[in-house]
Amino acid sequence: MTVRSRPLSPHLQIYRWTITMTMSIVHRATGIANYAGTVLLVAWLVAAASGQEALNVVNAIYGSWFGQLVLFGFTWSLIHHMLGGIRHFIWDFIIGMEPGQREALAWANLIASIVLTLLVWTVFVWMA
Amino acid sequence: MRDTVITRDMVANPKTKYGNARASTRHFITQRVTGAINIAFLIFLLFVVVRLAGQDRPDMVSVLGNAWIGLPLAALLVVVTVHMRNGMRDTLEDYFAGRIYRLLMLLNTLFCILVAVAGVAALLKLVFWG
Repeated sequence: MTVRSRPLSPHLQIYRWTITMTMSIVHRATGIANYAGTVLLVAWLVAAASGQEALNVVNAIYGSWFGQLVLFGFTWSLIHHMLGGIRHFIWDFIIGMEPGQREALAWANLIASIVLTLLVWTVFVWMA
Repeated sequence: MRDTVITRDMVANPKTKYGNARASTRHFITQRVTGAINIAFLIFLLFVVVRLAGQDRPDMVSVLGNAWIGLPLAALLVVVTVHMRNGMRDTLEDYFAGRIYRLLMLLNTLFCILVAVAGVAALLKLVFWG
């Protein structure tokens, strides 16, 4: 049996970046970030369970400017991934796949993730 | 799921099927169901973090030590780790194959089990022993 040689796939730098492609990549990136970020949650819970000294250390790290920066990024990552997941649920019902619609969904995903993150931090951190 | 070696004959033959239909469907549905449950987890997490960020142990115990908060959070955390492992599998399948894929999947599974066990143990400790 003969097989035609198959075309090689060009890599990322060949393509014009589209918003849907970017949000797909960001969905994967935020998924990996959230995967690593669970360590932050579990470390906090374990410190709380083990004793006040351990909790003091965790609170000092998370409360520092760098800790707050990481937690802000983690918040955005979680929200972006959640909204990306909801976008996949919408697509599962074969809605929003047409040209224009899918770009609108991708932009909505990005904008809503930033707005929600700022809203959460404004209401619960900066104004609290 | 378990990766098959794709040969030239398989590529040339339109009747061949790649992958495991049952396991892949199950993977897909698991990811959707756990993903939907994770929305509840995030709302719960927001409540817990807003209430407890930077607080001392007695405060943590009074909130997380409440069985109605600590136990559902533990259950939701387990669902999160299932979603994590499934999602990381998708990523690993895209970039790795063979022995290195199986090694990374093993590490993936171990990491998710570690997160689940550590998180659940900490929450059970807070609920039942303070």
